[in-house]
Amino acid sequence: MTNPAAKAPAWRKALAPRAAGVVYAFIALLAVLTITSSAQGRPSYLSSVNLSNILEQSALIGILAIFMTVVLISGNFDLSVASTAALAGTVALKLIDGNGTFVAVLAAIACGALVGLVNALLVQKVGVNAFIVTLGTLTAVRGVVQAILDGKSITAHNTALLDFSTGRWELPVAVALVIGVALIALAVVLAVRSGAVREKLVAAWPLWLAGLLVLAIAGFRPNLLDQAVPVWIMIGLALVASLVLRFTVIGRNLYAVGGNAEAARLSGINVDRYKMGAFVLNGVLAAVVGVLYAGRFNSVDPTVLTGGELTVIAAAVLGGTSLFGGSGVVVKSVIGTLILFTLSNGFNVLNIGSNYQNVVQGTVLVAAASLYTATSQRDRALFRKRVARKAPAEPAPVLTKTGA
Amino acid sequence: MSSDPGGIPPILDVRDVHKVYRTGTHALRGVSMRVRPGTVHGLIGANGAGKSTLIKILSGAQTVSDGEIAWRGSVTEWTSPSQALADGLAAVYQHMPLVPSLSVLDNVFLGHTGSLRWDRARRTRELAELCDRVGYPLDGDDLVGDLSIGARQMVAILQALARGPALVLLDEPTAALSPSEREILFASVRRLRDTGTTFIYVSHFLDEVLDLTDHLTVLRDGLVVLDAPTASTDEAALITAIVGSRLAAFEAEAPVAARSLGEVVLAVEDLASGTAFGPLSFDVRAGEVVGVAGLLGSGRTELLQALYGADRAATGSVTVNGRGRPRGPQQAVRRGMALVPEDRARQGFLADWEIWRNISLPDLPRLSWRRMFPHAAREREQARQAVDDLGIKTQTIDSKVGDLSGGNAQKVVFAKWLYGNASIFLLDEPTAGVDVGAKSDILHLIRRLAARGAAVLIVTSEFEELIGSCDRILVLRRGALVADLASAETDVHEVTAIASGFGSHGDHPLGRKAAVS
Repeated sequence: MTNPAAKAPAWRKALAPRAAGVVYAFIALLAVLTITSSAQGRPSYLSSVNLSNILEQSALIGILAIFMTVVLISGNFDLSVASTAALAGTVALKLIDGNGTFVAVLAAIACGALVGLVNALLVQKVGVNAFIVTLGTLTAVRGVVQAILDGKSITAHNTALLDFSTGRWELPVAVALVIGVALIALAVVLAVRSGAVREKLVAAWPLWLAGLLVLAIAGFRPNLLDQAVPVWIMIGLALVASLVLRFTVIGRNLYAVGGNAEAARLSGINVDRYKMGAFVLNGVLAAVVGVLYAGRFNSVDPTVLTGGELTVIAAAVLGGTSLFGGSGVVVKSVIGTLILFTLSNGFNVLNIGSNYQNVVQGTVLVAAASLYTATSQRDRALFRKRVARKAPAEPAPVLTKTGA
Repeated sequence: MSSDPGGIPPILDVRDVHKVYRTGTHALRGVSMRVRPGTVHGLIGANGAGKSTLIKILSGAQTVSDGEIAWRGSVTEWTSPSQALADGLAAVYQHMPLVPSLSVLDNVFLGHTGSLRWDRARRTRELAELCDRVGYPLDGDDLVGDLSIGARQMVAILQALARGPALVLLDEPTAALSPSEREILFASVRRLRDTGTTFIYVSHFLDEVLDLTDHLTVLRDGLVVLDAPTASTDEAALITAIVGSRLAAFEAEAPVAARSLGEVVLAVEDLASGTAFGPLSFDVRAGEVVGVAGLLGSGRTELLQALYGADRAATGSVTVNGRGRPRGPQQAVRRGMALVPEDRARQGFLADWEIWRNISLPDLPRLSWRRMFPHAAREREQARQAVDDLGIKTQTIDSKVGDLSGGNAQKVVFAKWLYGNASIFLLDEPTAGVDVGAKSDILHLIRRLAARGAAVLIVTSEFEELIGSCDRILVLRRGALVADLASAETDVHEVTAIASGFGSHGDHPLGRKAAVS
């Protein structure tokens, strides 16, 4: 059978709502908020200060979303990230005054790795459902945090973490210009080398769009190049994770393991190693986030980051990550995070009651998931039926009568 | 074309039906077929012949582009399977839509809207009557998930019969059945036919079709190429009608001639796994094709799993290319083994991935820069080579494997192993659910592998194919090797008899072994 989707040119697929929807949504959201706020005579929504605010608020959840996406791609699920981060933050602040920064951070990260490993062993080796296991660790690890803190919040005197996570770092304008030009040049070189220039150029839109964005920022909002350290960490991790997933054997195998674990196993891929690795990595990065979060105020309390895991999963789903494994793009999950935080930021800026904030966020999430499902290849039942009913008139066959 | 005398009006009359898909594919080009009441009407054809399209149209899942279908004399306008069902045409598909967590009783009467109240006593009585009519006893309280595949198939058929249809469409009902279950199914179909139910029977198995049907329609390229009473045709004529000359030539070919074989590359000694099989011992040499003939439940799949290292509980010794038993599939692959699994879609490929990414999966590091960064151009080159070598029918190597037909998808699963260092091929039912043309291609491929020096172990219940393609045939029955036959000196009847526990060899399990080796 011929498959119409296979015949569509690559660029069409790359720009389809399913592939790039989250980008369109983000741009549309920014446009709506910009127009609304200027109509109300407020300062520009796209000001450097406001954009920096959104980025800074998103950074930690964004980092979690990157590695949640990795776990989801591997075909698993992790609810324990926020508790793990809280534990790591608590451990770091408990130890930093007595044992120094290095030991504190190391112990915090070890805690994260340990929680990840427990999740991994229970899910992959014992075979308990990932949802149940991580629901358990979510609760138990939060319990450990409460036990350590005993209902009180703690503050550290050593300000090393505070200095680090609230520090800022500025990318020189010249470097930004070079990066922007390099990205665009790379897109052009790739397109020219492949032959089909126009098609390739459209298909490589993330490259040159990112390049244009960097140039625009360097040109018009140079203040945006000065960002808090967590924002740069998020950008760096997103880049590294994207490159590993897209261009290495590890990335390819991870998608294979999540897409069809049995086929991957019989092809000689060590399925357990990949799935467990994703859990441990997620635990480690949750710990890093916990340390950064604790550093932000140099204090933690027992309820720190409660419910954060749901925001993280919502961000990944907004970014089009499949909960069944085998598909997902980390950059889109980061954009999903930005959408969530832009929404709440927009509510504040426009001074709309925060009561409706959750209603809107929940609606956006469900709407996005519905859209992805309805337009996906496998689950297109709804749209397909509609189309079939509306268009029963297929092209009249060219009748070549045969036989009597 | 046929015109049956007797003047009984057909229950289903397909008149010059055309089907053109929106993609431009002209799947049916004027198909006519008359199904007489109280008969079993066979519908056969290779994949892509238009068979699936016709089935979908008959069951109401698709509509015709041109032509018409008359049901009991009047033209139908079914646009969904439920309308067809309400009019008395029930379809039983290859993949049965049963609910494994519900009981047999619940499944058989699933979706009945007669009355709101669930009258258990009445349903139990009705189920007993149905079982009686079919001649297959089923306990209404058993969970469908616990039943054998054969019993599930019968539940699906009962589910269809519970609606009291005048015509039942059976699509590949025996694909997963053992011969004994097959016999029970055939007996039921015959019994029901004699009480007036009409059947349309779709199958790849030509012997079944000849055995069971009263009338035959063969499709090729969207046209009816043969439409005749079954009694007036035979297997040779059918094969010619379906594929033309290719497969016919293959069947006629003599079994593999004796060749000089290499050394032993796979040595199995006292391999056993729980109650599934064993202890077994046998050798496979380089360049040799060994078949393991085993029926469902004989331990054939478990044997391959154990060889491939996927069964950690197995005991005994296996020597693979001079090294020990692999402790997992990863090690098996490294030692040169390749497994083509039975359940392609679940174990063999990633349906959402393109052909080229599927083919490169097992030896991605080799196709990568520094074994870490995949080189798409090389991967695609290898996929193009595979498409040429194996005759995979596709427009581009960017097609998703899930969109390919069974035969082409199976070729992709083979291709995964052809360009790496695999030297021992374990094939589990390599031709299951594959049309005749692709089947012939795959059997040729197996011979080419052997000629290249690979050792091939085929495990299947398609005994005829084993005899056509193997040097030796081991017969596996209830987990024990009961015979070792040279394929040149045996035939399907002997293998079937031994495998199913009948015949002279049943009493002397290893009687033949000495004579052969």
